[in-house]
Amino acid sequence: MALLRRALVALGVAGIVAAVLRLRGSGGTPPQQGGWRELSGPDLE
Amino acid sequence: MRVLVIGAGAVGARAVRQLVESAEVDRVLVRDIDRARQAAVVKSSGDKAAAGDGDARIDAVLLAGPAGTHVDAAREHLAAGRPVVSTSDAIGDVRGLLDLDAEARARRVPVVAGAAFSPGYSCVLARHASVRFDEVAELHVARSGTGGPACAHQHHGALTGQALDWRDGGWHRRSAGSGRELCWFPDPIGAEDCYRAELPDALLLVPAFPGVGRVTARLAATRRDRFSAHLPMLRKPHPEGLLGAVRVEVRGRRGGTSDVLVMGALDRPAVAAGATAALALRWAVAGRLPSGAAGLGAVTEPVPFLAELAGVGVKAAVFEGGR
Repeated sequence: MALLRRALVALGVAGIVAAVLRLRGSGGTPPQQGGWRELSGPDLE
Repeated sequence: MRVLVIGAGAVGARAVRQLVESAEVDRVLVRDIDRARQAAVVKSSGDKAAAGDGDARIDAVLLAGPAGTHVDAAREHLAAGRPVVSTSDAIGDVRGLLDLDAEARARRVPVVAGAAFSPGYSCVLARHASVRFDEVAELHVARSGTGGPACAHQHHGALTGQALDWRDGGWHRRSAGSGRELCWFPDPIGAEDCYRAELPDALLLVPAFPGVGRVTARLAATRRDRFSAHLPMLRKPHPEGLLGAVRVEVRGRRGGTSDVLVMGALDRPAVAAGATAALALRWAVAGRLPSGAAGLGAVTEPVPFLAELAGVGVKAAVFEGGR
C-alpha cells in the first residue's frame, strides 16, 4: 500500500513538473542584430 | 472569365473582392451554405458578382469553404475540366487534393492545394528564396495569426494531434504542441514562440523541392493556447482575424558554403490568403501554373507572382544582417 502511495505521489510530482516545463520556459534567443527589409523595386523585377 | 467562389467567409469574401477588380474576370459567382452571408458578399462586391446557384458556365473554381469540404468539390469540378484552387490548410483536404494529381495531369488543368497565406504565400516565398541556392537542404515555415473564425478553429485544433515533419527522406509524426522555437516575424509582430502543429506545409513543399532534407512547419501560440488546445474554444474568435505573419527559413548551399535566407510577410491573414488564392485562380486559368495537383511551391515564376501581390498590398520582406 505504501509503495503504491509513493508511486502515485511520484507520478503526481512528475506530472506537475512536466506541466510547468510545458507552459513556461523560453524557446530561444532572438537575433541580436539585423532586421526586416521589405522587397521592392529591383527585388521584384 | 467566369469563376465560382465556394465559401463566403473571411477568406472567400476577400478573394471575391480581388477577383471583381481584375480586368480579365467578367463574372464572379459566389456560393455559400449561409444564404445571408452569400447575399451580403454579392451585394458588397459590385456588378460583376452574382449568386452562384446552378450555373454551369464556369471557367475555374476557388474553394474557400470550411475544412473537410474541399476534396469532393474539387473532384466534381476537375471532372468537368475546370482548374481548381483550394484555400484549405487541413491535412486531410490537402492530401486528398494532391491525390487528384494523375487526373489533373490527364486533363491538363491545375489543382492548387493550400493556396492561402500559409501554406500558399509561404510556398511562393520558399520558391523565391530557393532560387538563390545551388542546393536547398532545409525549409522551415512558421506562421502567426488567423484569418476568420473557421481559420481560428482550425488553428485551435492544429495544436492537438500529430504534426508532420519531413526528415532525411521520410515522414515523421511528432506531437502537436511540442518543439518550442522562438521565431522572429516581421515587425510589429516580432518574436513569438512557435510549436509543431497539424499543418500541411511539408506535404506541399516536399514534392516541390526534390531532394530537400528537412521540412517543418510551426504555429505561433501562447501558453494559454497550448493549455486550452484540448478543450473547446473558450472565447469566440475575432470575425475578421487580426494582424498575422509568415516566416520561411531556407537553408542550403550557395557557392560551396552553407547559407541561410529568411523571408516573411506581414498582413491580415484573411486578406493575404484571399489575394493569394484569387491570383492563383487567375494564373491557373491563364495557363501560368503547371498542370497537376500541387501547392504554390510549384509556381515557376515566383517574382511576378510576388510583384502582383505586392501591387495589392501583400508585401514580402527579407531578414538581413542577422547572425
